[in-house]
Amino acid sequence: MALRLTVNGETHSLDIEADTPLLWVLRDELGLPGTKFGCGAGLCGACTVHLNGQPVRSCSTPVEMADNGEVTTIEGLGSGDRLHALQQAWIDHGVPQCGYCQSGQIMSAAHLLANTPSPDRDEIVAAMTGNLCRCGTYSRIIAAVESVVAGEKPAQEEA
Amino acid sequence: MAMNRRDFLKVGAGASGSLMLSLSLPGCAGLPTGYEEETGEWRPDAWLEITRDDRIYFTLARVEMGQGTYTGLTTLIAEELEVAPEAIEPRFAPVADEYKNPLYKLQLTGGSTSLATSWEPLRTAGAEAREMLVRAAAGVWRVDAAECSASEGRVVHPNGIDSMRYGQLVELASKEILRGDVALKPAAEWKYIGKQNRRLDARAKSTGTAAYGIDVSLPDMVYAVVTRSPRYGGKVQSFNGDEVRAMAGVLEVMEIERGVAIVADKYWRARKAQEALKVQWDFSGALGLSTPEVFETYRKAADEDAGESERSEGDTDSVLANADKVVEAQYSQPYLAHATLEPMNATAWYRNNHMEVWAPTQAPDLGRIAVARVTDLAPDEVTINTTFLGGGFGRRLTQDYIEEAAAVAFRMDRPVKVIWSREEDTRQDLYRPAMLHRMRAGVNKGELSGWDHQIVGPQILNWYVRNAGPAQFPWTPRFLYDTLGKVGVWAEGIATPKDISAIEGAIEYPYQVANIDIRHTHIDPGVPITWWRSVGYSHNGFAVETFMDELAHEAGQDPYRFRRRLLVHEPRHREVLDRAARLGGWDTPVPEGRARGIALMRSFGTYVAQVVEAGLENGLIRVYKVAAAVDCGQVVNPAIVVDQIEGGILFGLTAALYGEITLEQGEVQQSNFHDYPLMRQYERPEVEVEIVDSTETPTGVGEPGVPPVIPALGNALFALTGKRQRTLPLKAEA
Repeated sequence: MALRLTVNGETHSLDIEADTPLLWVLRDELGLPGTKFGCGAGLCGACTVHLNGQPVRSCSTPVEMADNGEVTTIEGLGSGDRLHALQQAWIDHGVPQCGYCQSGQIMSAAHLLANTPSPDRDEIVAAMTGNLCRCGTYSRIIAAVESVVAGEKPAQEEA
Repeated sequence: MAMNRRDFLKVGAGASGSLMLSLSLPGCAGLPTGYEEETGEWRPDAWLEITRDDRIYFTLARVEMGQGTYTGLTTLIAEELEVAPEAIEPRFAPVADEYKNPLYKLQLTGGSTSLATSWEPLRTAGAEAREMLVRAAAGVWRVDAAECSASEGRVVHPNGIDSMRYGQLVELASKEILRGDVALKPAAEWKYIGKQNRRLDARAKSTGTAAYGIDVSLPDMVYAVVTRSPRYGGKVQSFNGDEVRAMAGVLEVMEIERGVAIVADKYWRARKAQEALKVQWDFSGALGLSTPEVFETYRKAADEDAGESERSEGDTDSVLANADKVVEAQYSQPYLAHATLEPMNATAWYRNNHMEVWAPTQAPDLGRIAVARVTDLAPDEVTINTTFLGGGFGRRLTQDYIEEAAAVAFRMDRPVKVIWSREEDTRQDLYRPAMLHRMRAGVNKGELSGWDHQIVGPQILNWYVRNAGPAQFPWTPRFLYDTLGKVGVWAEGIATPKDISAIEGAIEYPYQVANIDIRHTHIDPGVPITWWRSVGYSHNGFAVETFMDELAHEAGQDPYRFRRRLLVHEPRHREVLDRAARLGGWDTPVPEGRARGIALMRSFGTYVAQVVEAGLENGLIRVYKVAAAVDCGQVVNPAIVVDQIEGGILFGLTAALYGEITLEQGEVQQSNFHDYPLMRQYERPEVEVEIVDSTETPTGVGEPGVPPVIPALGNALFALTGKRQRTLPLKAEA
């Protein structure tokens, strides 16, 4: 199937089987391995990307659903060399351990903040509950998100 | 005598299930050191490389799987080299003798040993390089080297004004010859040890740029998936290869030792083709057990065989025979999967009679053997490139996924990446063994008079020697690999150290009881097993610390004070116990509907006590708070210590609440995170970690957070409900 995909602002024309999960298109066709494969069933959230502004599990999103769509991955979250405020907070709070789930965690958090600029603790927890972390970095994730909400790093924010 | 035995155990406790043959090898090729004129690179030793343009590379021989070696070990070398840890670029080590873990004589990362075994060598390496640079500068300036100092990558002149960059000095430094030892910095002068709080890999891991095994990409690379026997040990009889080969994108369908591999141009095409693959299996030698039979087998073995004595003090049998009261309990724990978030994968490329592998592995030298085993190649015709690991927890000490990639790539003329699905990762894991424990204790007038612990289950050595034996003797011809493995098992405790994987956490029983009898009834039902974060401590911790709780209640005593009184001669145990009790508010009123439990375990040289506050909500167990006190000797990175203990707590709670792999006629019943769940963000308890200030030699923290939390939660639930649960996972309705 021929389709068009705009990923991190760049438009690509592809010819690929319609049922191929978006995840493998991003990773193997477009060379964006920051989005991770964890479960293949939408259960762990490691593959979370934004499709037309909505967080989706790219492992179980057939690429045809993204045709003519706009996708943002961890690689495109910041702007240029500038990190997204959440990425900076992740570094400042030393969130990652093995790090494998963190692209997905950050993408979930980024969607939350894009739509709910001042979420409370419960809203953050609810938004982040679909993302598994086997290393147990959950408390630092909350601390990092809350630091951005509190505007501790406003200089890093870039729309 | 008793103390001798205990002391010996403390020394040996790092070597759970290790295979350390007594011979050590002459260095093979040896790594090149010295100065290279053309490139301007100076390698003072196997770890450091400093270039003319001031780049500093550190070869990291302990893999980074989340536990923090990338930061912690770099900090050690940075401290003595007098540069900020951020100024050093770590690189993952190739396979070489210099990089072997001295405790195991293998190049592996496990047993929470990285920091302890690197503490002296890496600081020494940093100090020696610094000293050579200082002397080189002193020679240029014609001043006394002792009057010069090093700071931030420069050597500073005695006048305090002039300085030279390390890069300017590398060529001269390479000509310096050190005689005698270079003194290490005293603790008072440390700038980074105990203070460094940042993680050096945080940026790469927050921007999607850290490269894990699954991210390896090579020119013309193709993808393979492997269909393995649903029952361990099944053999391929036949399969519809022609039909599958005709499917879109499929390049090859081939039988390999571990099953049938489908190679395709795209991963998704390989997966789709796999759905059409029909394999007839020969199950004649395959596992056919169901979980109830495993425990049936254990109980029968326990009845028939009292087990090998692993520690014996006093006369437990007669003390128990004469006790006022004998308390007995039987505990059991299920098989557990590792569930690393990055599924098993490996990439292999065979060309010019050489196999190059890229893989997230905890033991690259075993990976080399795994490749040699399934190809015609000798280990030195194999290169293993290690990547970041998306979790390890012991799973990646076994090299089955490398074996698969190599077996397929050996028959392809292009690089091949094998990726496991989550379902395969869950079903074809090697598990934390299911175990059974029979405990007896005598209580006389409220005092504990005797302790008897029978551990029933397999040990890991038997499953590990296959590649570990040959990895220590890489020149061994392939046909002797299995023999060497068998010799390793046969020589256990003679030429190889004793495998304590089944008994660790039981044999170090720290409480002062005059009569102690600890035995292991060795029985292996044939289900594949391996190390799992905290290994034997993960099950012995539950048995020992739950039974201690039962005995406290039996004696009518407070569980904290009951333990404390029996730790008179164990100050480090007592200290963490006291601190956890304080931190967890043990003596303060507990909120309505909740209760607290306490537990203590020293594992891998690190002391951890925890207080869990838990309750029941909507028919589910809810953990509200965990307070942990930890003594891991000298702390290098306090933030990483806290993270590892907290991560261990969540790992342990996941096991306590959900962890269970079951078998039905040899087939694993779980498959993905819906039926093998991990703790999620909304269930996270509040965790507080307090670290004991210490100048003792540092010990590991990757695993020791896990063992106490499981019994501490069970003990809290008992305090809440009055019902004792002796089987894991714990249930809301016992």
